[in-house]
Amino acid sequence: MGTIRNSKGQMRVIETILASFIIVFAMSFVNMFAITPTSPKYDVTDLEKMGYSVLHDLDKQGLLARFVYTEEWDNIKAALRVTLPLDVYFSMTVYDLHDTKVNNATIFYGNPETFTTSKNIASVTYGLIGYPKRNEAIYDPRILILQLARG
Amino acid sequence: MKKLIKNKKGQFIIIAFLMIAMMIISIGALMHGAVTYYKHEPWQEYLTLIGSIELNSRHLVELSLANYTHTPDNTLRANLQKWQNNLTRIYRGYGIALNYTLASDTNYNYSLGLACDWNKTASFSAANATFNLNITSIGLTGYKFTAVAFLNLTILNVKAPTNEITVTVKGEDKTPITNLEKDNFQVEELNIASVTSRYDQDHILVYIIKCAENISTIVTVTVWDQRGIQVTAKYSQS
Repeated sequence: MGTIRNSKGQMRVIETILASFIIVFAMSFVNMFAITPTSPKYDVTDLEKMGYSVLHDLDKQGLLARFVYTEEWDNIKAALRVTLPLDVYFSMTVYDLHDTKVNNATIFYGNPETFTTSKNIASVTYGLIGYPKRNEAIYDPRILILQLARG
Repeated sequence: MKKLIKNKKGQFIIIAFLMIAMMIISIGALMHGAVTYYKHEPWQEYLTLIGSIELNSRHLVELSLANYTHTPDNTLRANLQKWQNNLTRIYRGYGIALNYTLASDTNYNYSLGLACDWNKTASFSAANATFNLNITSIGLTGYKFTAVAFLNLTILNVKAPTNEITVTVKGEDKTPITNLEKDNFQVEELNIASVTSRYDQDHILVYIIKCAENISTIVTVTVWDQRGIQVTAKYSQS
């Protein structure tokens, strides 16, 4: 009973509670800035990285320029489908330097709704300079815009 | 309550916890800065960007050489100037600046980065440009690379009795070009019956062009590679 009536040390309890609040506040404040690997920011960065790698690899193999300049849109689509994971949807548009759309057929895979509803859409821009033909080699750049989203 | 408020003991604990909280926040901020710097900077994306600019600059040098071997116009400088301007438009917001220097090497007698020495037994077409790439948004300055395009055609021998011409075609670093077919060759005033390739001890790979008609004393062979670069070589039988 003497312990209950003892009024000494109550301030310590209040201090500890206050201090705990300070620690919890500090922890949650730090946590606000933490970016976990599942965050949307990482997802978009990951998709962008993937998009750049795929286009660069296709270009290195000499396929991308051939498909674009000989307008083999189905082959581009097939190449992207093979190289990208199944759950990654894509939409590609090819422009010339006057911002005129060059591809008359759609280069698209996935659910169209994904691109309108998804918050995490990555966009990758890639430039090509031209493609030589037997008696003709002209500088005629193309701008490729590849949009990627997870299905 | 008054007693509690007036109690002057224990403030040190609050100060100590406040300091601990400040330390946690500071360490947290430092950790955040250190971890997210490497995780958030898309280095691979930047490497691919640099790689794609380098690759397409090389392609442009090859394309300009291919154009020069088909037409007498040296378009390399004009094309590089356009590419320099168009890069900032294609990759907006990166702060890309690409500078170039055209080769003026006396070995190959380059003229504004391009050289053609044709109508000899060993003929060649060559292009050479050195680039300097700066990307201000990622703090990249002074990234240098050299783009070289080269195609050599050498007529090794001509066998009149069998109407066969043996040639070797080499690219950069004197590596043999392996993927050439009948459509890649032309023999002046003669039709080609077939083109075959075989291993050679000295040249690694040689092409044997079999002509449909009788070979004259002077043979002129032209070759195009997959990049569209052309070379013409001439061989006189003594």
